[in-house]
Amino acid sequence: VNSGIRMALLANRLEGIVLSMMNTLVRTGRSGVLNTARDFSCCLLTADHDLLAMAESQPIHVLSGPDLMARSMVELHPQLRRGDAFLHNCPYHGNSHAADHSILVPVMDREGRHRMTVLAKAHQADCGNSVPTTFAAAARDVYEEGALIFPCVRVQSDYRDNEDVIRMCELRIRVPEQWRGDYLALLGAARIGERQVMELADELAWAALEEHAGEWFDYSERRMAGAIARLPPGSIVVETAHDPFPGVPDGIPIRVGIRVSTGPRRIEVDLRDNPDNVPCGLNLSEATARTAAMLGAFNAIGAEVPPNAGSFRCLDVLLRENCVVGVPRHPASCSVATTNLADRVASAVQRGIAELCEGAGMAEVGPTQPAAWAVISGRDPRRNHRPFVNQLILSAVTGGAGGPQADGWLSLGGIGDAGMMFRDSVELDELRFPIRVAEQRIVPDTEGAGRFRGVPSALVEYGPVASQLEVLFASDGSMNPARGVRGGHPGFPARQYRRRADGSLEELPPYAHITLNPGETIVSVSAAGGGYGPPRERAAERVRHDVAEGWISAARARDVYGANALKLPLAPG
Amino acid sequence: VVEEKDGLRVYKSPTTPDDPAAGVLDVLEVAAADLGRSLGGLLGEAEALLHATTYAINAIVTARTGRCAFLTTEGHPDILLFREGGRDVAFDFSRSYPEPYVPRALTFEVPERIGPGGEIVEPLDRTATEAIVEQLAAAAVEAVSVCLLWSISNPKHELEVARLLDARLPGVPYTLSHQLNPIIREYRRASATAIDASLKPIMTRYLAGLAERLKSAGFAGRLLVVTSAGGVLDASTVAQAPIHAVRSGPAMAPIAGRHFARRDAGAETAIVTDAGGTTFDVSLVRRGEIPFTQEAWIGPRYTGHMTGFPSVDVKSIGAGGGSIAWVDDEGLLHVGPMSAGAVPGPACYLRGGGDATLTDAAVALGLIDPERFLGGTMRLDRAAATAALERNVGRLLGLEIDTAAAAVMELTSEQMVKAILGITLEQGIDPSDAVLIAGGGAAGLNAARVARRLGGPLVVVPEVTAVLSAAGALLADLRAAFAITVRATDTERFDFDSINRALATLENRCAEFIAGPGAGAVSTSVSFSAYCRYPEQVWDLELPLRVSRFDGDAEVETLAGDFHRLHAEVFGISDDAARVEIMGLRASASCQINRVAEHRLLETSDSSREVRTRSAFFPRVGRVEAPVHALDSLGSGTRITGPAIVESPVTTVVIDVEDEAERSDGGSLLIRGASGIRDAARERKELAP
Repeated sequence: VNSGIRMALLANRLEGIVLSMMNTLVRTGRSGVLNTARDFSCCLLTADHDLLAMAESQPIHVLSGPDLMARSMVELHPQLRRGDAFLHNCPYHGNSHAADHSILVPVMDREGRHRMTVLAKAHQADCGNSVPTTFAAAARDVYEEGALIFPCVRVQSDYRDNEDVIRMCELRIRVPEQWRGDYLALLGAARIGERQVMELADELAWAALEEHAGEWFDYSERRMAGAIARLPPGSIVVETAHDPFPGVPDGIPIRVGIRVSTGPRRIEVDLRDNPDNVPCGLNLSEATARTAAMLGAFNAIGAEVPPNAGSFRCLDVLLRENCVVGVPRHPASCSVATTNLADRVASAVQRGIAELCEGAGMAEVGPTQPAAWAVISGRDPRRNHRPFVNQLILSAVTGGAGGPQADGWLSLGGIGDAGMMFRDSVELDELRFPIRVAEQRIVPDTEGAGRFRGVPSALVEYGPVASQLEVLFASDGSMNPARGVRGGHPGFPARQYRRRADGSLEELPPYAHITLNPGETIVSVSAAGGGYGPPRERAAERVRHDVAEGWISAARARDVYGANALKLPLAPG
Repeated sequence: VVEEKDGLRVYKSPTTPDDPAAGVLDVLEVAAADLGRSLGGLLGEAEALLHATTYAINAIVTARTGRCAFLTTEGHPDILLFREGGRDVAFDFSRSYPEPYVPRALTFEVPERIGPGGEIVEPLDRTATEAIVEQLAAAAVEAVSVCLLWSISNPKHELEVARLLDARLPGVPYTLSHQLNPIIREYRRASATAIDASLKPIMTRYLAGLAERLKSAGFAGRLLVVTSAGGVLDASTVAQAPIHAVRSGPAMAPIAGRHFARRDAGAETAIVTDAGGTTFDVSLVRRGEIPFTQEAWIGPRYTGHMTGFPSVDVKSIGAGGGSIAWVDDEGLLHVGPMSAGAVPGPACYLRGGGDATLTDAAVALGLIDPERFLGGTMRLDRAAATAALERNVGRLLGLEIDTAAAAVMELTSEQMVKAILGITLEQGIDPSDAVLIAGGGAAGLNAARVARRLGGPLVVVPEVTAVLSAAGALLADLRAAFAITVRATDTERFDFDSINRALATLENRCAEFIAGPGAGAVSTSVSFSAYCRYPEQVWDLELPLRVSRFDGDAEVETLAGDFHRLHAEVFGISDDAARVEIMGLRASASCQINRVAEHRLLETSDSSREVRTRSAFFPRVGRVEAPVHALDSLGSGTRITGPAIVESPVTTVVIDVEDEAERSDGGSLLIRGASGIRDAARERKELAP
C-alpha cells in the first residue's frame, strides 16, 4: 500500500486511542484540576521512547518528558512484564514537576518484548508538599518542597496494585480519597490505551506499527523542515526576566539564543547562557526546559506540523546541567517547572522568531499564574469541617499574545496549556468549596496594543464565606510584563491585592502564602498579552469593534491606535 | 406524506431561504399534484403536520436573531465571553477567539447575589434594576435573557427582574434561566437562556406565519414541530421556548434508528449513523434509551455556542459526500475537513467544483451509477470525477485512479470508525455487540466496510434511509421533560422527604402535560431518572430510576447498586464502597400520538426489476463486473452475496466480497459480514487484559 495512505489510516487510529484514554480520565477524575480543568495529558511512545501520538494533550506535558520517562522506565526496570504499571513524578528522571503524577504502562507482545509505552499524566490537587500548594515557589530545595517523589516506581504487577505505594500516598497527600480517585482514573486511562494498542497490533502485527512509526516520523520531519524553510536564516539573542521571588530577590534574567539555519533546516535554541539552579521552586526540569523551547518554535511556525519525534528532529535544544532553565541538579526544587520560567522561555522563542521574520512568531504571552489560580485549602464548615485542597482555575485569566494573523486567544491561561485547559464554573466552585467569587471581568485598556493586539488583563475577586481560607500563589509578570513584538506594545502587568474587611486594598507580593478571614478577599489582575505589529496599522473595523464592546476606551483608540479619523461609537456605560 | 392504510411517500422540493414557509407549501403542492389532489383537499384531511426546520439554527449561524440583551449578576458580565475554556488544536493561533453570544454592549449587571444554598447574600437593588430596564427600552432590544447566579437554588431575583420587565417592556419576550434550563454551571445555563430569548422574536413570527398560511390553504389539523429532544411539541409551545427547535434535524435519526434496530434485528443497542453531504452524524441507542447531552454545540466545538440544553446526543464529523480529498506537500492523503458542499459540489456535479470529493471517488469506482443518481433526476459526470481524482490525488501519490479513489473511500471509512468508536467507548459499549443503522443517502457506500472494522455488527439499511430523520419524526412521541436540581443528598444520609417531594412535583408536571397537550394520546408513559455521581466527581451520570417514590433503605440500596453497575459499564471501574450523591432529578412524559407504528415506503416512480451488471471496484478483489439489483426486486428473505450493488432511486448499497445481504420483512436491507470476523474480534478481546 502507498505510504501516504497507510500513514493517514494509522495516524488516525493512534490518535483515536489517545482520545479514548483522555476521555476516560476526564470522566472519572475526582479533583477539580482533573475533571473540570482537564489539566492532564495522554500519549503513545515507541519502544525507542519516541513520541508517536498526543491528540489533544497539553504541550507542556508531552513534547518532551514522556520520552525521558519511558527511557528511565527501561533503565531502572530492565525486566518489564505485562501487567506492570509505573508511578512516575520525578523531575530528575524526566517528569515535568512533582505535582504531575504519571502512569506508564509498557505494552508487551506475546513473547514478552516491550513494543510501546502508553503514558497518562495528570496534575494533582495535592502532592504532599510541605505547604498546601502544588506550586511551592518558596521551597529552597526538594526537601523543603516536601513532595513525595516517585522515580518511576512499580505501582502495579500483574494488573494488581502495590498497596505499599498506595498507603504511602494516602498518608502523605492531602485529601487522600481525592488522590486515590484520580489515581484510579489515571490507571484506567493507561490500561484502556494498553488494551487498544494490543488490539491494533493483533490486527496489523507489531512490525507494521513500527514501520508506520518510521514513516510517520520521516514525514513529520519533512513537514517541519518545510515550515522552517519559510524563515530567513539568522540568529538572535532574546532577553527576558522572571520577577523577584523568595530566594531570587533580583529576579531571574534569562537569555535565549535562537538560530535558524537552512543548511539542514533546523532551529536551534540555546538555553545554556543562564544562571545556575536557584534556591527556590522556579527551576525548570529537563522535560520542561526542552518543551518550553520546542513550544515557542511550534507556536511560531508549526501550526500545521504534527508534533512528534520526527518533527522534533528539526529542533535542537541546548541545555546545561545545574542551570535554572536546563537540567536540574538534585536537590534543586522544580516545583513550579511547568509554568513560570517555562512560559518565559517559550515566549522568548516565539518573540525571537517574530523579530527574525515578519509574518512568523508571536508576541509574548501574559506571564502566569495570577492569584486567581491560587491553590486554596481549609476546612468546610458546611461539611463537618472536612478538609479540602484544590487549585482554582477561574475563568478570568487571560494572557493570549497577538500573532501575525489574529488577536490573542482570550482563554489562554499560560503558554504551556495552549488554551486547552477548561475553566471552573463559579457555581461549581462555590458548591465544592466554602468560597464566594465576587467578580470576574476583563479590564479595558490593558491589552498589549498592536496590529493584532494581546488580550487584556482580567480581574477576579474571591474569598472565604464563613471560615478561614489558606491561599498560595506564585504570580510572575508584576514587574516584567509581556512584551510586544515588531512595534507591538507590552501588556499590562499582573497585580494582586488583599481586600481587608474595611474595604481597603493591600498590595501583595507576587508570591504569597496567606490566610484570609471571612470578609477578606483576594483581588487578582492577570497579566495581559503583548501586541504584534504597530497599533496604528490595526484595521479600523477592529478598533471600532473594541470600542463598541468596551475592550478599549475611545481615548485609547485615538491616542494609541491613531483612530482620530474613525467614526467611533460611544463606549458602553 | 403518510396516508391511512396506505404507506409512506417521499417528496422533495428546494428550500426557499428567503421565505422558508413558502418551501413547506411548495413541497405540499408537489405531493398533492403527485396524488392527483388539490392542496386544499389534501390539507383538509390531514390530522397533523410534523415540521422539522433549520430556521432557528440558521438564524443563529448567520447572526439574524433578534436584538437580545443579557442580564446577569453584578460582577459577572463576562460569563458568555469567558465560556468554559478549551481548544482543539495546540499551536494554531491564526483563528480569532469567538465573540460572546450577546455582545458586551448589550450586557447588563444586576446588583444582587444569591448563594449556593439559595440564601440571599445581597438583596436585589430594585432602583438600579429599574434603571437597567430603562436602558433596555432605550436600546430598543427585542428580547431579554436573564441568568443570575444560583437562580437554580432560589429564583426570587430572576422573578423580580421578570416583574419589572413585564411592567416596563410589555410584549418584549424574555427568558429566565431557572425556568428554561435549571442546571448548575452558569455558562451553559446562560448560553441556553440567551439562545432561547434571541430566537423568540423570529420563531414566533415564523411559526405563527406558517400556521396562518397552512390554515388559509385549508389545513385544520395540528401543527407539530420536531424538537432537539427527539420528540414533537405543538408549534405554539415551541414559539414560547424556541431553543427546543435548535437541533431538531439530527435528533430524529436515533428515534428512527431505534425503531429499525428493534424491528429488523430485535436489538436494543444500536449505533445510528446519518451520512449527509457535509457531515457524518453518529449517535448511540443503549438499552433502547435515546442518548442525551447538555453539551451540544451550534457550530464547531469550542468556537461555536454551547446550547447547554438537554438534546439528543448526536456527534458530527466533517465527513460527507462533499468532503474534499487532498494530498499535502509531503505526500500524506487527507479527506476533509473542507467540503465542497452542494455548491459548487463534487467535480462530477459539473457545477464548477474542481475538487475531488468522496462522491467523486464513489462515481469513479463504479459504485454510484452516474445515470441513475437520485433516481436519474441528476446526471453526474464520471469523466469529471476521474479527472479531479487523477489531478488532486492519483498523480501526487503516483497511483492508478482506482487505487486512489479506493484510498479516499477507505480513509473516510476510518474517520467514521474513529467517530463511532469515540462515542461507543465513551458509553462503554462494544460496537460488535450493537446493530449499525446506516442512515443517509450515501450510507450504503461504505456501511459494510465500517461495520467490518467495528468487529462486524449487523448492518441495517432501512428502506427509508435517505429520509431517516423524517421517518423518525413520524415515530416520535409528543414529549416533555422536566428537571429539578435538589439540595445535594447521598445514599448514606438519604433525604427521603426532599427527594420524594421533588419526585411528586415532577410527576405532577408530567400529569399536567399529559392532560394538556397530550390529551387524546394513544398511550402515555412517565419515566424518572436521577443525576448521580461519586463524591468529588463533577460530571453526573443519568441513572434511570426503578421507582417513583423512595419508601425505605432497600430502595436506596438498589439505587446505589444500579449506579455502581452503570459507572463500571461506562468507565470500566466502580467504587462500590463509596456513597452515591444525587444532584438532580428528571422526569419525562411521552404521549404516543401516531396510531400507525410504521410505514412502508411506496415508490413514487417506476423502478426496474431486472438484474443488471456494471464494472465496480471492491476492496480486496479490485474491479469486477458486479451484479446490480434493484432494491424493489428483492423479496423479503432473498439473499445475495457480495460483490454486488443494491440500488433504489434514493440510495446505493455496496455489498463487499463475501458479505451477505438479505431483505427483511419490513423492507430493510440487512448486511452480515463474512463469518468468522465476529469470532476474531471476540478472541482479541479475550487475549487483552
